[in-house]
Amino acid sequence: MFNNQYLILRNNNKMKYIKSNFQIFKSSNLLVAFLLILGANVNAQVDRTHAPKPGPAPIVKVGNPATFVLPNGLKVYVVQNSKLPKVTASLSLDYDPIIEGNKTGYTEIAGSLMGEGTKTKSKDVLDEEVDFLGADLNTTATSASVNALSNNFTKAFALMADVVLNPAFPKDEFEKIKKRTLSSLQTKKDDPNAISTTVLHRIMYGSKHPYGETETDKTVEKVTIEDVKKYYSTYWKPNIAYLVFVGDITPANAQKLATQYFGKWQRGIVPKFTYPVPQAPAKTVVAIVDRPSAVQSVITLAAPVQLKPGSENAIPAKILSNILGGGDLSSRLNTNLREKHAFTYGAYGSVNSDKLVGSFSAETSVRNEKTDSAIQEFLNEFNKIKKEPVTALELSSMKNSLTGSFARSLEQPSTIASFALNVARYNLPKDYYQKYLSNLAAVNVGTVQQVANKYITPNNLYIVIVGSAKEVAKGLEKYGEVKYYDMDGNVTEAPTSKAVDASVTGESIVKKYLTAIGGEAAIAAVKDVDIKGSTNVMGTDMEMQQKYVLPNAFVQTILYNGTPVFKQIVNNGKYEMTVQGMSQPLDDDTKAGLDEEASFVSEVYYLKNNYSLTPKSIETVDGKEAYVVEVKAAKGKPSTNYYEVATGLKLKSTTSEEGEKGAVIVTTTFSDYKEFNGVKLPTHITIDQGPVKSITIKEVRISTGLKSEDIK
Amino acid sequence: MKKMVLPVLAMCFASTATMAQAPKIKFEKYTLPNGLKVILHQDKTAPLVAVTVLYHVGSKNEDTGRTGFAHFFEHLLFEGSENIKRGEIDQYVKNAGGTLNANTTQDRTFYYELVPSNQMNLGLWLESERMLHAKIEQIGVNTQREVVKEEKRQRNDNQPYGSLLQETFKRAFKVHPYRWQPIGSMDHLNQASLQEFIDFYKTYYVPNNCVLSIAGDINIDSAKKQITAYFADIPRGTKPLYRPNVAEPALGGEVRDIIEDNVQLPLLLQAYRTPKQGTNDYYTFNVLSTLLSAGQSARMTKILVNKSQQALQAGSFPYALEDAGLFITYALPNMGNSVEALENSMDSIMNDLKVTLVGEKEFQKVKNQIESEFVQKNESMAGIAESLANYETYFGDANLINTEIEKFRKVTREDLQAVAKKYLNRDNRVVLTYVPKKK
Repeated sequence: MFNNQYLILRNNNKMKYIKSNFQIFKSSNLLVAFLLILGANVNAQVDRTHAPKPGPAPIVKVGNPATFVLPNGLKVYVVQNSKLPKVTASLSLDYDPIIEGNKTGYTEIAGSLMGEGTKTKSKDVLDEEVDFLGADLNTTATSASVNALSNNFTKAFALMADVVLNPAFPKDEFEKIKKRTLSSLQTKKDDPNAISTTVLHRIMYGSKHPYGETETDKTVEKVTIEDVKKYYSTYWKPNIAYLVFVGDITPANAQKLATQYFGKWQRGIVPKFTYPVPQAPAKTVVAIVDRPSAVQSVITLAAPVQLKPGSENAIPAKILSNILGGGDLSSRLNTNLREKHAFTYGAYGSVNSDKLVGSFSAETSVRNEKTDSAIQEFLNEFNKIKKEPVTALELSSMKNSLTGSFARSLEQPSTIASFALNVARYNLPKDYYQKYLSNLAAVNVGTVQQVANKYITPNNLYIVIVGSAKEVAKGLEKYGEVKYYDMDGNVTEAPTSKAVDASVTGESIVKKYLTAIGGEAAIAAVKDVDIKGSTNVMGTDMEMQQKYVLPNAFVQTILYNGTPVFKQIVNNGKYEMTVQGMSQPLDDDTKAGLDEEASFVSEVYYLKNNYSLTPKSIETVDGKEAYVVEVKAAKGKPSTNYYEVATGLKLKSTTSEEGEKGAVIVTTTFSDYKEFNGVKLPTHITIDQGPVKSITIKEVRISTGLKSEDIK
Repeated sequence: MKKMVLPVLAMCFASTATMAQAPKIKFEKYTLPNGLKVILHQDKTAPLVAVTVLYHVGSKNEDTGRTGFAHFFEHLLFEGSENIKRGEIDQYVKNAGGTLNANTTQDRTFYYELVPSNQMNLGLWLESERMLHAKIEQIGVNTQREVVKEEKRQRNDNQPYGSLLQETFKRAFKVHPYRWQPIGSMDHLNQASLQEFIDFYKTYYVPNNCVLSIAGDINIDSAKKQITAYFADIPRGTKPLYRPNVAEPALGGEVRDIIEDNVQLPLLLQAYRTPKQGTNDYYTFNVLSTLLSAGQSARMTKILVNKSQQALQAGSFPYALEDAGLFITYALPNMGNSVEALENSMDSIMNDLKVTLVGEKEFQKVKNQIESEFVQKNESMAGIAESLANYETYFGDANLINTEIEKFRKVTREDLQAVAKKYLNRDNRVVLTYVPKKK
């Protein structure tokens, strides 16, 4: 409702980064015959007190597209529909999923790059010609598609064929795409749902299975243009491709075009792969990805299942899925976790079929303190739907709803084409979709219970929790062995916590730190500092400069290609911040932060300004024991610092900031301490929230005679 | 100078300019004695029917002290009626295998059900109940007030750039009710009494203020009989309908502001005041927008995104309403590019439109894109029903669904230059820069 707010989003330019494996058609209308008998008795007077009785249900006949195979093996489907004078053609590849290994992401990049120019047409010329025809042309890793009015279709189709058969893979566009891929990965690092998916797939399918792979900046960095070209020359072959026409075109004309443009495409041997079939764990495993900053836990309960598309159990499994955890507020999971307990905005679950390996999966996001209870309620619902049959009313209502959505899907003629492709790819009976509705109608409560018992395995699940381990982990061992994972799905150590000995005070920890970095005398001798380094801002490397004239002048500048994009200054009580050339208003907290930074070593500032320093516990940070110290000024925001017990060095610091969804913990880590003129400084700093992700210090010059006039 | 047209290419394309004809949408239109306008379009290709009602009331009809009413009704009228219990409307449609929804703009409120064709009467019943005697009760008002607050949080407050239209319109309009958005003010909704909601319903939710538009697999004769049976007895409204008649003065100088929001990237937006929908200039702005941002070769995309890479994304859209309009251009600066430089580049694209007549080949490309879009527009039953109702409500001419393309075809290259000169000027625009909230 109220959808006029989204004009901007809808008006976005053609998105070329659509991740899509298969049919992407636009369409209008269909090749289906329907018989309809309307309730014919009409009275002038109606009974308003009851809903009108429906007429006899329309009989839905699902048509079949024309189909033929070219001599080179290209399988062609044609759904002729002349309601609108337009045609969509879509070519899609069907090969065994590939393990991309340490270069995961190269097929996606290849798909994007294919649309960026051909051997005879630069990107500009190609774009120009597509637009001139009023057409749309898109490519992905495994498909290419074009849409145009009928009278321009031949020309538009020729452009698509050129893109598929003669891609140029221009180097400059390759670099642009790689860069864009890296920055989009950067934003994913803040996204707990993306982390959850990565980790779940890695542990559920394993790193040796194509579904267990995820692209990371490391794997994308490694992709070369040769990888892209090799992928194209190995896999883009007619004998594993489907070409589908939908719209205002006759089968004869489609055959002519397919032969003319794709007839000479050379067939080739495409590698085949088989993979071990992933199994559900013998006992439930609880996998925690620690995000100390999290205020919500993202919870997924899942296991692989053996359920092929179109198999006997697929339709009952669909009914089961929608009753248990479909999108409706009336689904069992939503009724329980959202409506009854108010743990969450939504809880979902489904049994999914797949050619290689299917899955049972249920997920939700809940506030920290409800993590354990939410898991318990999920398991209760799983057990209930296994033990007790669903009600007759639940079943009939769900059948009506699924019948309606099947019929509505036929408003798009492309649906017929995708049905035909499914039949081919999954080797279904020829009349699978013709019989779909009668098979749906035949499902009874007993069948639903049978599939529930077969696919829902409450004692053999991977329960992945992305959340704050400290706040949510307690008590979870009752569900199964608790293991910890990093963001990429590698096993890691559990965070630990111990009490601090009474003899240790906050002040002693801070003093030990000052000694560790060179001692108070060496620090006091520093007059000014000039630092040069680099920083990563949302995936882009930029230059960073910092200057200090102690004790109260400081400037930090971030430059991109020599142009300052960010600057913050404090100089003797005057404050300034500019972002992309625009001056920003500053609040008191920010000013206080700048004052502290100007002192060069915050710990000196703590002691001088009588901060309260409270040791809280000892926790493990990256395998090192560290004192956790709460740092509070009289005014301003508190922070929590972690000082290594063994060396005294500061390993990390966290502060609480107001984010979009309430408080967010910002974690800054310090490492690679190096000595400069007798003072040790961390030369590598990472920040897990906000645009600046890391800082690397390359050059530090101390007491070179900077003046406060230089701080600008 | 910048447009190096390859002559051979241009010639070979020039011959392709004959366009496919959009199929004519046939419909019947009549008015019941109580003033209800009815439009029927038969299409038997799928066993579906879209039953829709468009009420000619939106946020611009609201009292300045009661903003948000029109949109609030879009929620309230799902609560039930004399014969439908609270919350049952959804259930009826779901059990029938259908879907339903509604939306509200500054100018109108639209409700629809998309159901299997044997359930058309269900749609008629639900819509006639909503028009005849919807339940306006305190409990429903209280419930929906909370839902609308959540909606505002989710869509406007918590959405990056979610306040963009609100911030733009309140600066672009000083007098006209377009200065507020349909979501309105939560305070106003809190203050309103039940009687005020009842009055609003009795004023605007009347047969003589709406269009019943039905498209799909119907039998025209029996549909007419059913429509009479369900709707003819609904009494005509008698209260005066408030339609603002406000002459918004010229902007009188550029308005600039910086908005801090929960966004990762800055966004620059320029909104120029333009004439209302349906005017000649309105069609010209649609063509202009296609020229600037439709497809990879469009000027803003090509210059700002692909070539200079100053922008991560750039685009434009005409936002024309019943009484007035805006033409909005926007861009998100790429890392390391200042907003000022980006604004200069955007301004130079606009200036170029004033100084240099658009080349013939580029103009032909844009016309081709517009023809293509027009032909492909009428795909779904719900979409056709809504378009027919919109054209009838705004222009009294549902047949524009077939003929509007003529108005686009009349636009010339000189028209583009003329609107650029007349409207794309600093003193006629609002410029907003969204910047990330500092931590």
